[in-house]
Amino acid sequence: MIKIKELTKRFNNVLVLKDLNLDIQTGQTCVIIGRSGCGKSVLLKHIIGLLKPDKGKVLVDGKEVALMKELELTALRSKVSMVFQGGALFDSLNVAENVGFGLIEHTRINREELLERVEESLSMVGLGGIGNLAPSELSGGMKKRVALARAICIRPEIILYDEPTTGLDPINADSINELIRSLHDKLKVTSVVVTHDMKSAYHIADKIAMMYKGKIVLEGAPSEIQKTADPVVHQFINGLSKGPITEAIDTFK
Amino acid sequence: MIFGKTKLELKVGVFVFISLAILVIFLLSIGGFKTWSSGYRINVNFSFVNGVKVGAPVRFAGVDVGEVKKIHLEFVPEQSRSNVHLVIWIRDIIKIPSDSSVWVNTLGLLGEKYIEIIPGKDYVNCLKVNDYLTGVDPLPIHAIFNRAENIMRNLDEGLSQIRNKEGSLGKLIYEDNIYNELEAFMADVRKNPWKLFYKTKEKK
Amino acid sequence: MFMLPFIDLGRKVIGFLHFIGGLTNLAAQTVYLTFKPPYKYEHTIVQLKKAGYDSFPIVSVVALFIGFIFALQSAYFMQKLGSEMYIASLVALSIVRELGPVITALVVAGRVGASNTAELGSMQVTEQIDALETMATNPIKYLVVPRFVALGIMLPVLTLYANIIGILGGYLICVMKLGISSSMYMNITFDSLSFKDLFTGLFKAWIFGMLIALISCHEGFNVTGGAEGVGKATTRSVVFTFIMIIAADCFFTALFYFILT
Repeated sequence: MIKIKELTKRFNNVLVLKDLNLDIQTGQTCVIIGRSGCGKSVLLKHIIGLLKPDKGKVLVDGKEVALMKELELTALRSKVSMVFQGGALFDSLNVAENVGFGLIEHTRINREELLERVEESLSMVGLGGIGNLAPSELSGGMKKRVALARAICIRPEIILYDEPTTGLDPINADSINELIRSLHDKLKVTSVVVTHDMKSAYHIADKIAMMYKGKIVLEGAPSEIQKTADPVVHQFINGLSKGPITEAIDTFK
Repeated sequence: MIFGKTKLELKVGVFVFISLAILVIFLLSIGGFKTWSSGYRINVNFSFVNGVKVGAPVRFAGVDVGEVKKIHLEFVPEQSRSNVHLVIWIRDIIKIPSDSSVWVNTLGLLGEKYIEIIPGKDYVNCLKVNDYLTGVDPLPIHAIFNRAENIMRNLDEGLSQIRNKEGSLGKLIYEDNIYNELEAFMADVRKNPWKLFYKTKEKK
Repeated sequence: MFMLPFIDLGRKVIGFLHFIGGLTNLAAQTVYLTFKPPYKYEHTIVQLKKAGYDSFPIVSVVALFIGFIFALQSAYFMQKLGSEMYIASLVALSIVRELGPVITALVVAGRVGASNTAELGSMQVTEQIDALETMATNPIKYLVVPRFVALGIMLPVLTLYANIIGILGGYLICVMKLGISSSMYMNITFDSLSFKDLFTGLFKAWIFGMLIALISCHEGFNVTGGAEGVGKATTRSVVFTFIMIIAADCFFTALFYFILT
């Protein structure tokens, strides 16, 4: 399970995360919603140790990420994988090499087995047989799905998704949602999904957490969230242009 | 590149191999005979070497045959003077007669110093390893100046004597009557050239 | 108002100190990771080919022309003195000691250094470097070490080629144009060179190679601000590399002059 305690982070004197607390149970799919640029991706990067907190801590299975030694961090990263917003596929490698990257770099797996695992991962995202293409030949949606294939190829216990459905057509978005669900159901993967796509959030979430001004303002099951009386959350989930979120910014200006 | 081999390695391999070949060519050519052939060392004593450096070439009968390996400056108490001791490396096949003369010479435009050995005649007793030769000291610049100064001083003395109308040269230049006499004589000879052939009777 | 230039200057100084600090840090990590297993041979060979084999044509063309130019320029003066035969030693010494390493380094900095910065920079802005890290792969080990090793090996190698081709350039001018005999040219060339000349040149080339790799990767890692940022970083990388190469050249030339006399 992932435990986040009083996490604080600032960039150039801008407070991005402020005493943020969040618990995510093993096997749970937690969707973090919030406006663009409110620090959701920053939160994800803390979980996998890309960023170090200024204050507070992130515990993954009881161990504090920021204090991990190199070997522990490697161990952590071989069970946690992350799907980046733009895919972040390596341009210099082809699709198959991208998907198998973790296995090539960190295991002594033989070639046949490797190709099998790569093909399996690619067909799980519905892109079987494109192993020899270069990332530059793929469309945005395909890149995202290849990135997902790369994330699941190492058979992780935790997957972090940074806006997995943004920029996809509804059909592709839905197939990604289905995939996240099925990974959750079949493989008991813990998922942390950052998104502002509410449809996807309702579809996949066990728990939704709303992030606002560097804090989690509300967390609960999707049905609870939908019925909330909190004006901030209400404005966000219903996509209203008028409400406390925008007002706060307007008055600030 | 991870799946399947390409010709990368071959290309890089050939490229690096050729460069190693170039390196070997450089090394062999730069070192020349100095590094790769065997030789022996002899010692030469000078009291002045005019700035010869380690590595300066050694020429025997005008041919490069070796180089200066070491230069020591040592004090000889018995003669109360400093001695420059050069260790010179000579190629094996070169035989140097023991009566050869050695001195420091200057080469060409750049003023490079080298050791010149002029072969002697005594090929029966050739120099062996670690034998000694005594070098002919090159004249240091200040010695040349000294000598030039002496010459100048003498010249100066002579000239001042002439200017002071002393000595026969001084008189010749400054006394008018010699000129007058000569002129009268020339006029007389021109008028009566026969006088030149006229032999006055000698009285016995 | 009149304080503004000073504030600006102060910022530049601080920026420069940041650069030096970052570079030193990167250098230390790179050297450490170079010797730390596992050794990923296949990444290095790709960089070896990119840095060395692919740079060869341009380096050799430049070196050939430098040889021509040097022979002609020195001929202009040496003919006045009537000592054309010394052109050979002039060309050989200046190419082997100085121009070979420096010209090679500048060409490689422009070619390979710029491409390193652009490549790493666009990896940075598209989060590929973060992605590497999340896959438990150290970006320095994966990206910098192969480039560092490759440039460190290939710069001396390219310099050797540049040396021989530059000398060939001088040879062509002197033998074809100035009527110096071929064997005489080669004799004087190799007579005037010593091991020290060759090895100080190659040593400098090695240093330059590592400098190019470190600066270009450092600039690449520190890109911010999308495609424009990549462009700016590439320019900065080439400029910094040029300055550092010349500065390092000056430093080592002085060092060799005063220490290894």
